[in-house]
Amino acid sequence: MTSKYEFKKIFELIFKEYLILGAIAILVLVTSIVQPAFLSVGNLSNVIRQFGPLIMVALGMTFVIIGGFIDLSVAGIISLVAVATVYLIDIVGQGPALIIGIGIGIACGILNSALLLTSGALTQAEALFITYGMSLVYGALALIISGGSTQHIFWSENNTSLFELIGSGSVGFFSISFILFLICLLILYLLQNYTYAGRVMRLTGGNKTAAELCGVNINRSIIFIYAISGLMSAIGSIVLISRVTTASPVIGMGYETNAILAVVVGGTTLAGGKGSVMRTVLGTMLVILLSNCMNLLGVSVYLQYVLKGAILVIAIWMDNRKQS
Amino acid sequence: MQNIKQDAILSIKNVSKYFPGVKALDQVSIEVERGTVHGIVGENGAGKSTLMKILSGVHSKDSGTIIFDGELVENTTPILSMKSGLSIIYQELNLVSTMTVGENIFLGRFGELGGIKHVHERAKALLKRIGSHVTTYKLVSELSVSEKQMVEIAKALSFDSKLIIMDEPSSSLTADEMKALVKIIHQLRLQGISIIYISHKLDEIFEFCSVVTIMRDGHVIDSKKINEITRSEMITKMVGRTIENEYPKRPNCVGETLMEVQSINTKKLRDIAFKLNKGEILGLVGLVGAGRTEIVRAIFGADKIKGHKITIDGNPVKIRKPSDAKKAGIALVTEDRKTQGLVLPFSVENNISMATLDKISKYGFLNKSMEAEIAERHVNSLGIKTPSIKTTVKNLSGGNQQKCILGRWLEINPRILILDEPTRGIDVGAKYEIYLLMKQIVESGSAIILISSELPEVLNMSNRVLTVCEGRITGEFDPNDSTPDQIMSKAFASERKE
Amino acid sequence: MNILGYCKKLLSIVNKQKAFLALILMFTAMLFFKTNFYTPLNLINLMKSGSVLLILAFGITIVLVAGGADLSIGGVMVVSGIVAIKLMNADVPMAIAIICALLVGVVVGMINAFFSVYQKTEPFIITLGMGMLLTGIAQQLTDAHPVSSKNPGFLLLSNGKLFNQIPNQVIVMIGVFVLTFFILRYTSFGRNCYAIGGDYEVAKYSGINVMRTKALAYVYSGTIAALGGIMLSSMLNSGNSTYGENTALLVNCGVVVGGTSFAGGIGGAQHSLIGLLVFAVLQNAMNMVGVDSYVQLLFQGIVTVGIIWLDSYGRKKRREMV
Repeated sequence: MTSKYEFKKIFELIFKEYLILGAIAILVLVTSIVQPAFLSVGNLSNVIRQFGPLIMVALGMTFVIIGGFIDLSVAGIISLVAVATVYLIDIVGQGPALIIGIGIGIACGILNSALLLTSGALTQAEALFITYGMSLVYGALALIISGGSTQHIFWSENNTSLFELIGSGSVGFFSISFILFLICLLILYLLQNYTYAGRVMRLTGGNKTAAELCGVNINRSIIFIYAISGLMSAIGSIVLISRVTTASPVIGMGYETNAILAVVVGGTTLAGGKGSVMRTVLGTMLVILLSNCMNLLGVSVYLQYVLKGAILVIAIWMDNRKQS
Repeated sequence: MQNIKQDAILSIKNVSKYFPGVKALDQVSIEVERGTVHGIVGENGAGKSTLMKILSGVHSKDSGTIIFDGELVENTTPILSMKSGLSIIYQELNLVSTMTVGENIFLGRFGELGGIKHVHERAKALLKRIGSHVTTYKLVSELSVSEKQMVEIAKALSFDSKLIIMDEPSSSLTADEMKALVKIIHQLRLQGISIIYISHKLDEIFEFCSVVTIMRDGHVIDSKKINEITRSEMITKMVGRTIENEYPKRPNCVGETLMEVQSINTKKLRDIAFKLNKGEILGLVGLVGAGRTEIVRAIFGADKIKGHKITIDGNPVKIRKPSDAKKAGIALVTEDRKTQGLVLPFSVENNISMATLDKISKYGFLNKSMEAEIAERHVNSLGIKTPSIKTTVKNLSGGNQQKCILGRWLEINPRILILDEPTRGIDVGAKYEIYLLMKQIVESGSAIILISSELPEVLNMSNRVLTVCEGRITGEFDPNDSTPDQIMSKAFASERKE
Repeated sequence: MNILGYCKKLLSIVNKQKAFLALILMFTAMLFFKTNFYTPLNLINLMKSGSVLLILAFGITIVLVAGGADLSIGGVMVVSGIVAIKLMNADVPMAIAIICALLVGVVVGMINAFFSVYQKTEPFIITLGMGMLLTGIAQQLTDAHPVSSKNPGFLLLSNGKLFNQIPNQVIVMIGVFVLTFFILRYTSFGRNCYAIGGDYEVAKYSGINVMRTKALAYVYSGTIAALGGIMLSSMLNSGNSTYGENTALLVNCGVVVGGTSFAGGIGGAQHSLIGLLVFAVLQNAMNMVGVDSYVQLLFQGIVTVGIIWLDSYGRKKRREMV
């Protein structure tokens, strides 16, 4: 009797909370049966490499969504950081350019939060529109700086070894970008679960009013989540330009929706308060594996977009049902 | 059903309603005669609003029968009950503030009327009938409360209502507006419309009701002709219950002054000033919306205000935001547990530690074992019934949820604990435990400000009572030698000011 | 004292009519530049280039008034345009092709309504997802290349001119404006939308079928977006998945700029007209003055953020009045 109940409970937990693991397993299983090339070392390392930029952006987005907000400006931030960094290599050298690039990302995030806080726009819908507007601003700045043209990193007269390292270097089996991802994940995981800032972030997403009445500074928390999102977008941008070795002023397009997709599919709820960067890793994995599997199975790129959109809609819907 | 009197417009028989954990109505029977004004009195939580919501079809009843205008009422909805001639004017007015007066009167019925012009014409005629000259093209958001009430009454008339229920209509009216309302009520009665008038204010009941029904704790206590009952009888029936077992012995450990509050002025509050002593429970009594909550929110720094002065132990303190209040040793347990107190999807542990996060973190890292220890300590000492400290707080009962919030604030060792409706929606047993806890707190030298709509609670627990009315403090009482009636008359402000 | 009162009144008017004032400001500013801005040709061009966005804006106005949101309109727009062209290229008569394209909008509207009304999902997010899905469908349909119509009549649909002066597209826009204005103002469906957006519970208790009304609003928005898509494809004689990239958010911003609130219950077609015109005039004026296209984008972003910031700020001030 009890064991049956327990079993049902565990089953429910798996079905509700870890559906995504099952989805990944099925995906891997089916694809490797239909297309054994999937399990080849070459393909797997390819998957891991694709992981790079998106996971960074999605990790940052996770913090924003746990905090009960949303950030559409990541697309603009990625483009701006990419263009600015490449532009700066010739002027200040690669190291400083990289640091300034990341600084720009953080600054953009803080600017977003400042706009939200000063106007008192504390709902998700308001945040959606303000960050969307800021995405236009950042994107336009990227276009202005670059004059609309794509720049090639290695056309720079200066040394670009750092970007080369990030883009294609590896330690043993693991690429540098993968190691970078692990480091970021570890730090964000610690931040989220073991620090004051992480707890306050959750409280902000869970119940702003209650948090504020407990003497918690939610303004600082909002600045924190957007700064993290900006930082992670900047890191994602650096990883991306290092890999593709070019910086187009519209390079970030589509990252905002993909990142939200990864976060929501992973099971972090849009209502705020609940979720984890670990879930986002799974979500991103599903999104990327899906692309990879469909590529191997010969599904057209465009049909993949359709499927991704459908998955996003269904994931949001299921998230909503879980809540109520 | 045969023995229903012909002249009864509404007959409620043995109606019961259960909410999870609460029996909101228990075998309630009321008979309302045609063309009369029938008063219903009772304290908060007596079941009046639940009964009204059942009549209007917002809630469904669990058992019993309702006969309205000779017809059995089953499975009604708000619009059906209005169409059948039963309208309710709620305390929180049911109007769409972004729309015009005319449209509000005919909300959802534009189609039947053939064009917006007819809507305004008919609305104008209806308003004229009750002597109101509000232009029907005005937005409801621009109206005063009494004008809104007129609109509600006009809306009720537009349905050819036979019975209009008014739920605390006078709670936010000025004296002149009240006079106008009385006139309208007389007019309506002359037009053959019956009225159920729900109120706290006994004066009004005596002024124009012909029958009064007294409710308490979901029961009908008595139903009498108005000339067969005296005022004091009515009050005894409203509040009179055996109080001895419900409350612990009143704590008696008042010391010297702890906090002094001066000149709080906001849009709603006027010159609020009072003192709070060590070891004292200070009760704030007043109607909902009188400004009780606003006073404590101002002290706690939850609302932005300027120009006030707060001193604790003779030292002035500046409180601009809740964290300042926390530093000064003030804790606030808010009236709305679910939206302002708890983070519902979080665990008991996380909810308890909310106010002490800075205490349990070092170099920005949380000390989780310390957090668990704090939570365990409060779960044990307060007797919070929960499977574990990891349980989601949403799954606890109201009383246990409230204890979690109390535990959260006890952890900061507050010198001043503000409790806003601490026992609302909590069962009797848990209430008693909370009273005991309050006693313990003041005996340890802290002070409590208690806001409650339950007069017996305030009278039995506090050492001193302040009455709040229309944003002012209107009186100070020693509950030992003052009657509920004295206090209520101050709280309901007989002397109205413009 | 009196002067202070006047100032306060003036300020509140400024606050309410932000978009209208911005419009006047831009028109005045253009007087000082020697450009072709004030020529009939340019003004007609302005209306023509803005008309697609305006059509979409009128569609979502009803949804926003009813307290919903629709960010899928960009996707609907491109898909319907592509569907119309593809069908015509497969020798389907133009009228039927157009009806099929409009049906795309109806269906998407119904799906949006299912999720956001009947399943109570947050409309902003779910319709954003729908938009993404539709963009994918558009790409799949066209292989991400523009498709052009072989039917010469299709081009005339929006480029034809009434009295040799006014492009049909502008006429359609005005038609949709009048229709939306009429629905919102004079029909019980429209008035019920205001009631639902103003106070959902009150509307429900007043016997309004809140679900069906709101669902209908989504269907209207989807259908109008499809109409906008057909006009766009006809104007350019091509359908392309990239046309709708920023459309949804831009149009929503424009509508909000005009004074229709996300909170629902206020606004109307006339507000949306002004709100979207702000963007259209801004772009046209910047073109005339010769502002670099990237800088234009920058201005667009700044104006969007600025006006939404002001909107939120006004609400915050009202909240803080204790």
